[in-house]
Amino acid sequence: MAESKPHLNLAVIGHVDHGKSTLVGRMMFETGAIDPHIIDEFRKEATSKGKATFEFAWVMDSLKEERERGVTIDIAHQRFDTDKYYFTVVDCPGHRDFIKNMITGASQADAAILVVAAPDGVMAQTREHVFLSRTLGVNQLIVAVNKMDAAKYDEERYKEVKEEVSKLLRMVGYKVDEVPFIPTSAFVGDNLIKLSENTKWYKGATMIESLNNLKEPVKPTTLPLRVPVQDVYTISGVGTVPVGRIETGVMKKNDKVIFEPAGVTGEVKSIEMHHDEVPEALPGDNIGWNVRGVSRNDIRRGDVCGHVDNPPTVAKEFTAQIVVLQHPSAISAGYTPVFHCHTSQIACTITELKAKLDPRTGAVKEQNPAFIKAGDAAIISVIPSKPMVIEKVKEIPQLGRFAIRDMGQTIAAGMCQNVTPR
Amino acid sequence: MGEAAVRLKVMPESTDIDFGKLKEGIKAAIPAKVRLHAMEEQPIAFGLKALIVVVIMDDKAGDGPEETERAFSKIEGVESVVVEEVGLL
Repeated sequence: MAESKPHLNLAVIGHVDHGKSTLVGRMMFETGAIDPHIIDEFRKEATSKGKATFEFAWVMDSLKEERERGVTIDIAHQRFDTDKYYFTVVDCPGHRDFIKNMITGASQADAAILVVAAPDGVMAQTREHVFLSRTLGVNQLIVAVNKMDAAKYDEERYKEVKEEVSKLLRMVGYKVDEVPFIPTSAFVGDNLIKLSENTKWYKGATMIESLNNLKEPVKPTTLPLRVPVQDVYTISGVGTVPVGRIETGVMKKNDKVIFEPAGVTGEVKSIEMHHDEVPEALPGDNIGWNVRGVSRNDIRRGDVCGHVDNPPTVAKEFTAQIVVLQHPSAISAGYTPVFHCHTSQIACTITELKAKLDPRTGAVKEQNPAFIKAGDAAIISVIPSKPMVIEKVKEIPQLGRFAIRDMGQTIAAGMCQNVTPR
Repeated sequence: MGEAAVRLKVMPESTDIDFGKLKEGIKAAIPAKVRLHAMEEQPIAFGLKALIVVVIMDDKAGDGPEETERAFSKIEGVESVVVEEVGLL
């Protein structure tokens, strides 16, 4: 049974037109995830047109049509199975306006395939997506050096791109030795399921082997309890019911909890998920919990619930590493955009630009720069305009990431390095 | 080419909200250039339900999911709107 296999959320990232969708389509095709009737239809069409060649693009188009035809709320992701795992695959939009949702969204990727086209090498979105994956805490990465067919299957070109990508990965802190690099052509199918005759010089693992080698994600149950409040209700006959998703830790009935920055405490009387009462709730669970001792007006969206003996950290000030994705001019000290962190949206002032980092090496390029602009990575100091819960990304990664927005755009993505508590 | 599906979770103001009306409101509020793909009620807790709405939009148009989020937030009876998942088609 497929359902008994462990599940992994897989993000496919990379620059636009580097072949992400084709790679997903090809993996679906090769792993038998595409409905056989689509393949049958393809064969009929190919025969009727007298085409002997395999037009994979046709399969891709049919796949999209098929997804749209099914009226399902699961259309945003696809699924394929290997013998070890079943994968839920999200093909990440390249447009920056979707980035905030990758940070605050519900389905956190457990691993990512970074697709880099061999003819182009590292491009703007390659860099952005790598930064974001790191910010989002995606620690397992597979690199597909794709479109090798368009690079004449040249080993030298593969090595060049591999080196270029390695530099980028090292800079954001990936252990490059642990990242598999695979020369692929998603269009032709090279090195996905079996090693290709076209790249006899490549002796590494195929894509499917690399996927099977991924580590099974562990739910962060041993971290302190953190549940960002999405909404708060008063339900007649029940009482105060906040709703939200458990990010880390475990919530149990009768737990003594505190909501920060509100600073109010209460006791968990009952927890429900999908309308069923549960004795405990784990990371990823979308729950409503009835708390005694807290009224609806005491707490609001953006507050974070934790245990009284290990309460959420309220920051007076924090430092962060950010990457500027887009900004019409330049960012300097005093800039006050809105920080989107878990369920909170709070205006924060960037009080100091401590350092600008070299995007190639990750080393400090300039201490206390006067300004930073699109494409720059930097270390900044931040003061929230009102109390805000944020955690060090090293301690509770799920509560340490944020998107910075201004003028209807996602300006930057970042992770909190240090917090000065209130 | 270049279309993204966006899954939004729409929370009602209370357990008394009429989901029939809410769905009509959603249909009427869909911005131009955005297509409604699917809606599904999802039980949460203590009688509360969320309405999961999936829309399809151009990945490159530049509006992103924000406009849809804002439009849904203004519908009567809506407490909050969050984007849960975005993926290319």
